[in-house]
Amino acid sequence: MISRTTTSIMVRQAQRNLQFSMSQLATMQERATSLKAINRPSDDPAATADALKVHAHQRAVEQYARNADNGDGWLTTIDTALSSTTNIMNRIRALALQGANDGAMSQPAKDAIAVELKGLKEDLLRNANTTYLGRNVFSGNTDTGRAFDAANYTFTGAPGASVQRRIGDDATVRVDADGSAIFGQGRPNSVFDLVDRIVTDLSGGVNNIGVHIGALDGYMKGIVGQQAQIGAQQSQIDRAQASLLKEKGTLEAQRAGIEDLDLGQAILDLKTQEVTYQAALAVTARTLQPTLMDFLR
Amino acid sequence: MSTFSGLNTAYSGLVAARYGLDVTGQNITNSTTNGYTRQRVMTSAVGGVATTGMFTGGIRVGQGVSVDGIARMGDDHLDAQVRFTAGAAAYTAVRADGLKTMEASLHEPGKDGLSADLGNFWAAWQELSKSVGETAQSGLLLGQAKTLATHIASNYQAVDRQWSDVRDTVTGAVAELNQAAAGVAELNGRIRSTLAAGGNVNELLDQRAGFTNTIAALTGGSVRQQADGTVDVLVGGNALVSGTSVHELSVAGSIRMDAVTGDPVRLVWTDRPGVPVSVDGGEIAGGLSLLAPVNGGAGGALAEAAASYNDFAVKLADRVNAIHSTGYLPDGTQGGNFFAYASPATAASTLTVIPTSGAQIASGSLNGGPRDGSNADAIAKLATGPDSPNKVWTQVVTTIGVATKAELRQASLANLAATSAVALQLSNSGVSLDEENVNLLMFQHAYQGAARVMTAVDEMLDTLINRTGLVGR
Repeated sequence: MISRTTTSIMVRQAQRNLQFSMSQLATMQERATSLKAINRPSDDPAATADALKVHAHQRAVEQYARNADNGDGWLTTIDTALSSTTNIMNRIRALALQGANDGAMSQPAKDAIAVELKGLKEDLLRNANTTYLGRNVFSGNTDTGRAFDAANYTFTGAPGASVQRRIGDDATVRVDADGSAIFGQGRPNSVFDLVDRIVTDLSGGVNNIGVHIGALDGYMKGIVGQQAQIGAQQSQIDRAQASLLKEKGTLEAQRAGIEDLDLGQAILDLKTQEVTYQAALAVTARTLQPTLMDFLR
Repeated sequence: MSTFSGLNTAYSGLVAARYGLDVTGQNITNSTTNGYTRQRVMTSAVGGVATTGMFTGGIRVGQGVSVDGIARMGDDHLDAQVRFTAGAAAYTAVRADGLKTMEASLHEPGKDGLSADLGNFWAAWQELSKSVGETAQSGLLLGQAKTLATHIASNYQAVDRQWSDVRDTVTGAVAELNQAAAGVAELNGRIRSTLAAGGNVNELLDQRAGFTNTIAALTGGSVRQQADGTVDVLVGGNALVSGTSVHELSVAGSIRMDAVTGDPVRLVWTDRPGVPVSVDGGEIAGGLSLLAPVNGGAGGALAEAAASYNDFAVKLADRVNAIHSTGYLPDGTQGGNFFAYASPATAASTLTVIPTSGAQIASGSLNGGPRDGSNADAIAKLATGPDSPNKVWTQVVTTIGVATKAELRQASLANLAATSAVALQLSNSGVSLDEENVNLLMFQHAYQGAARVMTAVDEMLDTLINRTGLVGR
């Protein structure tokens, strides 16, 4: 159809163009000020799905990092406790060897050794009851406050239970140590009871306490072995911490790639739109002025 | 041939020119009136007096100009096009608006969205798994769980409120429709009687076109011209307006979203409430389509969204409960459910957290010890499973996003079509000031010309009457 143009059509068209230009300008402004490519799901549904996934992953990784830090604390505590336990055991072994010299040791000297051994046993028990943030590191999930009962050396932990920390979607690390495997439990099957028996023998004048040395060595071997295992777990946590940090960076880059707008591009778009709007304003102001009325006498 | 017929001819020219000037004036003064259609004086030349009788003869000159009427320069085809596109544009605009509002209530993606709360909820389970027995961590978890439940409920309520709003809007639109129909009927009557009396109905036609446009934008109704100048307006094939009688419409059906499934919102004839009216365009059809009940993903957008929120709440509650109830409380007894909801159909709005303290959270496993957090960790692991609630929620958000994007696109296309139809209509019927100025000049000159003819005849008669027979005096 051949179209007839009238002033009112031009006004309407100008209004519509200005309105469109202005709404484009508003969109550009929103994008440039929020610097977000997706302000609502309909902006880009596929990218929204990705963004939600990345956000969930980011939150999970953040939590894994916290878990790993917590696990690191547990393992460091255990490592320190086991180191000092080894030192105590070394001293106990030395004293036991000394006390086994039946010919050279007088009873008062043996009594003195017995007193020291008693003290060392208390230290040993204190180490076995080491806590981290109020939790016994050698008895897993108990809430009694002690891994080993002071009277009968009963182990309070549940058999086979362990404390795990999640460091990945499908990876957990054990962060406690089984106290009953390291120290034994109850009477007579614990290292505490063994020391008690040495003390009793020494102060009771029983000769040949050297028979206990073998048992002591057995416990010491267990402690060292456990420490090596803790070291392995610790290095697993360390690796997890490093990789979680790296993953955090990667995820942030992914998130930015999906959600964030390039500042330069945003400002350029905004400026272009601004120029378009100004041009539309200027052109409208010019074309809408004259009618034939202006030129008739 | 009469002596004075020349004067009469000139007079008819003066009259025609004055009519022309008057109509031009009407056009210019109404150049900005909404819905005004430009008018033209229709004139025709009056033929000479017929020769009758034996002794009449000679050549007969025409008797001047006659004003036949004032034509309205409208085009029914273009008007119909405007009505049709207005109906389609209003339909998609209402739907797009509804979806945009719903989408905005999600606050996704971002830290105010449900997905962020979901992430915090899983993280709180892991925190608890590390510190079973600590009131801080169990309090954190219970707080996050309640926040999550409240957030799901508030999302549901937002949709519910929007549904009620749209329901009110539809009721209002139907009232507006009835009013417009009454307007058409009343104008039909006036137009018919004015036409019968031979009057000018151009302005009444403009007014009636305004009403029919409103009806078209509301229902996409079609207009049928009748021979007596009236129009019938049809909605869904039946007459809304027929001559001067109106059949009013009203809205029937549920006034609550949760009851809409058995009692869909529909349009009925007020005098025959059992007969539903199908409208396929316009605001009302758009509103009704938003209000439609659930139909396996193809139903009304609002009810579908509400259903997907319920579905999400059920999945979240059931998955967490399934693991929670296999776990053990710190005191060694087996745990129960973590979330409770009244029924799957109302899960989103009735979701509650059952435990009130850390002692009631089944965070451990059988014989794991009072501070065992293995079950809490198992629940936290739901975040990443193949059918995790996170995925269900992402699906919900993406579905709404895709629907909104498609609807916005359609709305902008329908709007383009409507705009171009209006532009075509205006280009035909709008007043051009330049054109009217030229007309002013033309009619002014025509008037001057006719006056000059009259002067010439006058001078001729003067010569004949006053100066004849004075020879030699």
